[in-house]
Amino acid sequence: MGWLHGIRLRLRGFLRRRQLDRDLEDELQFHLKMRALRNREAGMSAEEAMDAARRRFGNPVWWKESIRDMWSLGMLESVLQDLRYAGRSLLKTPGFAAAAILVLALGIGSVTGIFSLLNAVILRGLPFPSPERLVLLWGNVQRQKIERRGNSYPDYLDWKAQSTLFEGMAAYSGDSFNLTGVAEPERLAGEWVSAGYFDLLGVAPIAGRAIAPADDVSGNSNTVALIGEGLWRRRFGSDQAILGKQLQMNGRLFTVIGILPAGFRGLSDGAEVWAPFAASASASDLAERGSRGFPAVAKLKRGVPVRQAQAELDAISKRLEQAYPETNAKRGVEVALLTDELVGGLRTPLYVLLGAVGFVLLIACANVANLLLARSEARRQEIAIRMALGAGRGRIFRQLVTESMLLSLIGSAFGLLLAVWSVQLLGKASPITLPTFVNPTTDWTVAAFAAGVSILVGVFVGFVPAYQAGRQDLYEALKESGARSGDGLARRRFRGALVIAEVALALTLLVGAGLLMRSFQRLSAVHPGFDPNGMLTLTAALPRAPVAPPQPSAAVTSDTGAVVTGRQLLERLRALPAVVSASVASDIPLGPGGGAIFYSAEGQSITDAQTRPRAYVHRITPEFFATVGAQMLSGRSFSETEMEGRANVVVVTDNLTKRFWQGQDPIGKRIKAGDSASKNPWWTIIGVVHEMKYRGLPENPTADPDVFIPFSDRQREVAILIRSSQDPSGLAAAARAAAREVDPSITIYEIATMSERVGRAIERARFAGWMMTIFASLALTLASVGLYGVMAYTVRRQTREIGVRIALGASAGDVVGMVIRRGMALVSVGMGVGLAVALALTRLLHTLLFEVSAVDPLTYLGVAAALGVVALIACYAPARRAARIDPVTALKCE
Amino acid sequence: MKEKNRQDNNQEEFLRGTLDMLILKTLTRGALHGYNIAERIEQGADGVLLVEEGALYQALHRLELRGLLDSEWGVSENNRRAKYYRLTAEGRAHLERTARRWERVSEAVSRIMRIA
Repeated sequence: MGWLHGIRLRLRGFLRRRQLDRDLEDELQFHLKMRALRNREAGMSAEEAMDAARRRFGNPVWWKESIRDMWSLGMLESVLQDLRYAGRSLLKTPGFAAAAILVLALGIGSVTGIFSLLNAVILRGLPFPSPERLVLLWGNVQRQKIERRGNSYPDYLDWKAQSTLFEGMAAYSGDSFNLTGVAEPERLAGEWVSAGYFDLLGVAPIAGRAIAPADDVSGNSNTVALIGEGLWRRRFGSDQAILGKQLQMNGRLFTVIGILPAGFRGLSDGAEVWAPFAASASASDLAERGSRGFPAVAKLKRGVPVRQAQAELDAISKRLEQAYPETNAKRGVEVALLTDELVGGLRTPLYVLLGAVGFVLLIACANVANLLLARSEARRQEIAIRMALGAGRGRIFRQLVTESMLLSLIGSAFGLLLAVWSVQLLGKASPITLPTFVNPTTDWTVAAFAAGVSILVGVFVGFVPAYQAGRQDLYEALKESGARSGDGLARRRFRGALVIAEVALALTLLVGAGLLMRSFQRLSAVHPGFDPNGMLTLTAALPRAPVAPPQPSAAVTSDTGAVVTGRQLLERLRALPAVVSASVASDIPLGPGGGAIFYSAEGQSITDAQTRPRAYVHRITPEFFATVGAQMLSGRSFSETEMEGRANVVVVTDNLTKRFWQGQDPIGKRIKAGDSASKNPWWTIIGVVHEMKYRGLPENPTADPDVFIPFSDRQREVAILIRSSQDPSGLAAAARAAAREVDPSITIYEIATMSERVGRAIERARFAGWMMTIFASLALTLASVGLYGVMAYTVRRQTREIGVRIALGASAGDVVGMVIRRGMALVSVGMGVGLAVALALTRLLHTLLFEVSAVDPLTYLGVAAALGVVALIACYAPARRAARIDPVTALKCE
Repeated sequence: MKEKNRQDNNQEEFLRGTLDMLILKTLTRGALHGYNIAERIEQGADGVLLVEEGALYQALHRLELRGLLDSEWGVSENNRRAKYYRLTAEGRAHLERTARRWERVSEAVSRIMRIA
């Protein structure tokens, strides 16, 4: 490690250069004096002795220099010298330095901020080992289009047994687990999972054991469960004794066998409880091949591409289709990469935003390059003197690039702070729901990225000004008196090019932002078929009939002796102040839950599997339509008597009646679940409502109609919808308290106003739109500041020319017009380029746009007009100043 | 031109290596300042090896930068501030290596000289 030692010594020497010089001088002097002393002892005179000593030594100055050179750091030394010089010269012009650093900090900060999101979502990847081999298997069905449907247990078992390309396969299904039999009941999110699930995801319990194949069976009333570390800490005080204890959830008993590490929330990303998949239903229910609804996770064997696995499963599906035509006709499997499933939707918006901030950074660079150019011109003399004193062009170039590099490094340090701060803010404000494992923090990758960007930026902004400075004519520069030097053609062209580029980039961003915002507006304007304003929604888990060992509790039973029902809870909530109307339902619009059935319409021919009529069934109480604000087209809602007993009535959306009874009065027509030959009762249509976006915004995932039947009091997990005359979010606490009054073991969750649910459904569009708007505004500001800077500089440079014009009789208006024309000429070229770039690039946006064309002429025109106005304002101020030039002073000062 | 340069370099290299070895050897018995070292070498070599004493200091600093020597300021025998050099462990190892090589070469050379 000799060289390292040497560098350390040299560095120390560099930092204490004076000390080093003094020591060397002392050391050599000491030698000379000692030698002279000896010489005198040998009989020489004082003078002779010293001369002889010097002769003996050689040229002391030369040796000293040669030793000094050995101690120098070479290249590094001159770089450090340049840095010192650059620092001093920036300190001399603090205004310039602050402006440049601010602009670069904004640019680099934006890029780094978006990069840290990208890093967290895409680069860091999923928190599971070999995520590139993890896939989800979705059972699907070929209807008008291929629809994802989930798997049935027998299908899953067949895939698992017959496939050869997977290391493992596990079914899982999210569910809620209502923890009762404890002081404070709580609704927990959980998953039913197959025995191999944790192995596949590379997660091991921190205590106890995972689910074994022997646990993964149905038919036991008593099964096992694992709990998450968070739940363990929160509810059980991190007590190991919980292992082996029984928990009562959903009216069943679960023996706790293990605790899973903190941070693991399952693939449903929220789970705290895990129980064996096969225990989720009775053996006969599980054996239903046609009952589908859950995905399976699988791990490909090393080196097996998704395509190959897809082909194998296709073949297996074909065999199953032949073996079970009843249930498996047109049924297939889709193999989808887990990464795509979890974060795939975020990729395009993030890359688009990274592109956008890249543009912002380019504009910032152009601004700073322009500042540097102006500065290097102001320093022509200084540079010329240095060159005259022997500094080479290379040395001058290096010096100036060091200066821009220093600016860029300081700028990126502030930029990094800005990024850290804004990403934290983003995390708190949470404008989009990210998977919980996505944690956008500033790690070394982000810091390295910022450093890399700042070096590129430093070279990029400094290159042209530095190159130009080195090429100036020494004689001319020294002859001129500083500020009066003319404006070279090359420099003017370069400045013009900067303005054009800035305008073009800003316009492109503005177009992107305009398109995304219009798309977001369109999305917000979609009428969901109900009125989301003034509505509070929540889900209540009602206590089930007590399980063994029975725990007698007065609260669990109502006056009828049965457990409390959804409608009893509703009665109490309806009495709350400000409640206009309220309803209970099986599921909330835009919320989870809700199942589809195949149905038949009376008198209509049987159709094939692809067009077989299917509808989504919701159970509701009579006030439902009034509460959600649906539009009743004909007929009526249920009556109270129809709520009791078996009324066999149904309200449907108009897309159902349009399909079968176009032009007829649908009231009184009948439909039934299953085939028309089935034993199910016919349901008589008593009302028709306008189609609702019940299952998704901006569009239901499938075009199937929704049908509504009377609410059943047997349902234990109920949706409650309340329309309020006041701000509905204020009702949440009162609703919770009221529920506790009815029965303390009721758990309330998923409280949200309907507007919040609508907002969540379009949050990504809003996020992309707003982020793009922020960056486009930044770009517009920077570009107009840049334009202003260039115009103001040009006017200052042309003071004499303008003075002459005024002296020759040009009016103020002429001068203003001249300056504005020059500025706007550059701007219009920039806009032309920008429009072309925007037309080419916005195509990348089309997946993010809703009902807006990527070449929407209105957006393009509006944006160009806005940019034009801002550019005019930016040119006007310098033009006014030009018009006020006093010809006498202008000519005299030359 | 190039050829001559290389010869010069080789010769310089050889002298430098020899001087380094002598310095290291001189320091085996303890720390010395530059003038001490010069005297010791002078006594032993009868002025054959040291053309200019400046070269000695260049060599000392080179060896220090290579980590073969360590230095410390002290007070000389006549009460002046002087820089003392000491062998490092690395320097000692280096000396052993070069001295062995030197012995082999010089033995071989003297053998040939005797025979011829």
